[in-house]
Parts: sequence; structure tokens; C-alpha cells
Amino acid sequence: MLESLPYELPELVTRAPLDTHRSTVLPEWVDWNGHMNLAFYVTAFDQASGAFMRNVGLGRRYVDGKLGMTFVLETHVTYDREMRGGAPMRFTTQLLERDAKKVHLYHEMFHAEQGYLAATNEVIVMNIDYASRRSAPWPAPVAERLEVLWQAHKDLPRPAKAGRVMGLRRKQADAD
Amino acid sequence: MKSPPYPLIELDLSAPLDRHRATVLPEWIDWNGHMNVGFYVVAFDKATDTLCEQFGCSWDYTRLEIGMTFVLEAHVTYEQEVKQGDPLRITTQILDHDAKRLHYMHAMYHATEGYLAATNELMLMNIDYPSRRSAPWPGFAMERIEKLAAAHAGLPRPQQAGRLIGIRRK
Repeated sequence: MLESLPYELPELVTRAPLDTHRSTVLPEWVDWNGHMNLAFYVTAFDQASGAFMRNVGLGRRYVDGKLGMTFVLETHVTYDREMRGGAPMRFTTQLLERDAKKVHLYHEMFHAEQGYLAATNEVIVMNIDYASRRSAPWPAPVAERLEVLWQAHKDLPRPAKAGRVMGLRRKQADAD
Repeated sequence: MKSPPYPLIELDLSAPLDRHRATVLPEWIDWNGHMNVGFYVVAFDKATDTLCEQFGCSWDYTRLEIGMTFVLEAHVTYEQEVKQGDPLRITTQILDHDAKRLHYMHAMYHATEGYLAATNELMLMNIDYPSRRSAPWPGFAMERIEKLAAAHAGLPRPQQAGRLIGIRRK
């Protein structure tokens, strides 16, 4: 485990959920259906994960300094409503769980002006040792920040869209 | 709609569907030196086009303003890294379907080394073009979806299907 990081960490934002990330739907993210393609929701959410990771001290300098990286192991997206090119996005991020090497995050994407929920994303992110490209415990200052965030996030209500298993649920469909 | 105003390709009932090939493009690589999480989904979405061509609901379907297909939900497992220029083979298994929806799973393999790189479980819905609302599959598509589903019915359920995300505590 890295005992320290050779750069100054940003001021920790402990608001729960985290609500700092903003973005815009780029023209090249729009597909032949005239809306943001499903893949670029994942890209947009990945940038929201990046904002969470920067808050705990793992930004570009972590990778450029050849200290470590963070890899996504698994992701689950619900597509709730369409987003068009140029639409402004606002994200919120809740820390659902953490352990020595991983975090389980839950993001919501909103249309920043119209306010509607566009999509949700649950994701598992793992810390990676740069040299071996294998999993490794969080650097000590990061683990410390994750504990502070955990205290701030742990009592938030569990999101209704977290923990979904995909399926057609015939009974419900038949009742409709 | 009994038949579309464009030709349908010959139906491929091999199970799983094993037609889609691709290569990892330079612009799909991120600062970690491997294919970025979002571009796995770009690659998988092109495999969805290959699947939809089987039942006539791909580009011609939308170009002629008949309908579209929207993804409602997606789940990706990232199993092993792929790098720039790597050849990909993507197979597709239908898991379930109803009057409007299709539930299926893609598996992405490194085409020459053979290892599993990622999986993608998806729920796809048919959309009426003018209203942009859900609608039953057109007759020509449903007929083919049923044949494909029957061909895939005997396959074992993929281990990654129906996964719940979480950190499993010891």
C-alpha cells in the first residue's frame, strides 16, 4: 500500500450525495436515432466516476506519476429518458459500499435545465498498481478520505434503482 | 407489418449467433492504455446492429422511418483488458423476448488469443418511429425473433446473466 501521495490533494467535498459534476452531450455522442447513444451514457458516467475519484485524490496525476490507475470491473445502466445533442447534464454520486481495494458507486444523470432523470449507473471501481496492472489496496490517504465519505454517505436512503437484476418480469407484464 | 420494404438477409440460426467481428480502434483507448469502458459498449452496440439485421430492424428500419430500437438497460462485466488493434469476436445469445422487448447477452472475445474480454447483457425495446413510443415488434421481425429464440433455447444460461452489482463481503 502507498503510504502517501506525492502531490497535494484537493479540498474534500463531503456533501452527500456528491453533486459537483456537470457535462454536456457532445454532437459525436448522438446516434442514428437522434439521441445520445447508450455507450456515451457510460462515457459520461465514467467522467462522473472520475470526479468522485479526484475528490479522494486519484486524478490524472495518479496515473501520470505511474503510481496507479483505477479500473471499472462492472457497470449497470438504466436508460430512463432520452438526451439530445447539446443537452446539459448534472450528476449526483452516492457511495454505496467500499472495501480495501474497491468502491461501489451509484450515479444519477439529470437534464440540468429540465430537471428530469435521464439515466442511472451503478459501478464497481477497483484500484490498480501501476507497475503490475494488478489490484492493490487504496493508497493510505485515499482510504482515509473514503472513510470520511462513507460516514457522510452511509445513512442516505438506498436508491430504488440500485441492485437491479435484468429480466422481463412476465407476471407484471401480464397484469398490465 | 407482414414484410418490410427492403430485403431481409438470410437467417442465421447458429447458436449463439457468431457473426460479429471488429477491431479496437485507436480512438477507443484511454489514458490507462486500454479500451475505455464506454467504447466496449460502442463495440457491443455494433454487435446489436448485427443481431437486429437478423430480424430486419437495423439501419433500413430507421432510415425508412418505420421504427427504432432503444436500449432500456445494460449491464457490462469487464473481464480482461484489450488493447489498440486487438481483433474482437462477439457472440450473441437471446435470453428472453416478449411482444415489444428482447433480452440478450453479448460475449466479447479476443479473436486470436481466445480469452473472454467482456460481457454485455441488454434489454432492447421496439419503438414506433413517429410517436417515439414503445410498440409491438412488426410481424416480420417477431417471426424471426421466435426462430432465433427457439434456436438459442437449448444453450446454457451464461454465468454473467442476471448479475447483481455489489462488493461481496467475506
